[in-house]
Amino acid sequence: MTRIAKLAALAVVGALLGCQSPYAPRDIAMSVLMNKTLQQEDRFGLPAIATVFIPTTLKDAYNLGSPSGDVANFKSLIVAKLMAFGQDAASANALASALAPDIQPVDLSQPSAFLNGRKPADDVITGELHLIFGSNAALNDDHVDANDTPFLTTFPYLAGPHVQ
Amino acid sequence: MSRKAVLSLLLAGAVAIGVTRLISASDHKDSMLLAGDPAADIADVYTFSSPTNPANTVLAMTVSGFIPPSEASTTFFDPNVLYQWKIDNNGDAVEDLVIQAFVTGTGGHQVMHFRGPAAPSDIGATDRIIDGAETATVAVSNTPTPVVASRNGMTVFAGVRDDPFFFDLVQFKHIIAGEATSFRSPGIDTFAGTNVLAIVVELPSSQLGNSKLGVWGTTSRPQL
Repeated sequence: MTRIAKLAALAVVGALLGCQSPYAPRDIAMSVLMNKTLQQEDRFGLPAIATVFIPTTLKDAYNLGSPSGDVANFKSLIVAKLMAFGQDAASANALASALAPDIQPVDLSQPSAFLNGRKPADDVITGELHLIFGSNAALNDDHVDANDTPFLTTFPYLAGPHVQ
Repeated sequence: MSRKAVLSLLLAGAVAIGVTRLISASDHKDSMLLAGDPAADIADVYTFSSPTNPANTVLAMTVSGFIPPSEASTTFFDPNVLYQWKIDNNGDAVEDLVIQAFVTGTGGHQVMHFRGPAAPSDIGATDRIIDGAETATVAVSNTPTPVVASRNGMTVFAGVRDDPFFFDLVQFKHIIAGEATSFRSPGIDTFAGTNVLAIVVELPSSQLGNSKLGVWGTTSRPQL
């Protein structure tokens, strides 16, 4: 076989593999991000909570910031709002310490369940409503306890999309 | 409305109900208007031990909330956005490892590339794609059948899925507007029937450097 023929054969095999494999070509030269300095635009640790305690004027700074700065920059604001909401200093401080830094903590040696990590099925909203409204039964549970579509038992775990 | 805005609204509303004088109405509106950039707008981040392999950890991130069924096959990731999980494995709230994801391609032919977990070249709010080969790549799924790929011990997915989030946001808005005094039971999931773009990775927990971790998600764009 000539060299050209070999190359052609390889190309055909490659094309076939490309069609049949979920693996994509490894060439990433087309990425517009390569060798560029990128600026953070959004961040997400705990499902919300922290964002509300940040004044509007500081929200951009918060989104552009890093968790390592959260205690210094934002914890006192969180404590103040919690105390204004009626919590005593001790509970406000304890809760604020859980919210800042805004990181999703997980101990993989223990079962995952919000606030130890976060599973898709965890009812985080009701958890947060309980945190805010305590025993006020009218407001401490939205009575939506599960997702509209069952989660998968295998990867990728999230349910398939709703399509027309 | 972004997920963050939804939850800001939730908490702002909660505070407003209790202490109305502390929160101006404009806080709510500002939060609701923060949608702007859906492809870079993180809806949720999930971290959990794998249900199928106790030695593995699953990380999931969703963006671009409220995709209707009519747009499920035509909503795509943004090649100008770097999606990252940042992982603190020594308790100082600074990322020790990152897992990066970015797409190439357009339309229905996008490919998601993954790098890491590896130490980032930059710490904090300025990011760069880390050096080295990709850990895995996968074709982005635009249909209900998920395309999944595994390489180097990492299993990956990227594409449209049902929004895993659930909440009776509509009734909550009635409550904070003073039009209702309680949630309804049963509630109605405002997010039912809507989709998100999801990125999911499963990898050996041993690659994360500790069993006690702090995880957060970020999106970044090239500096102007």
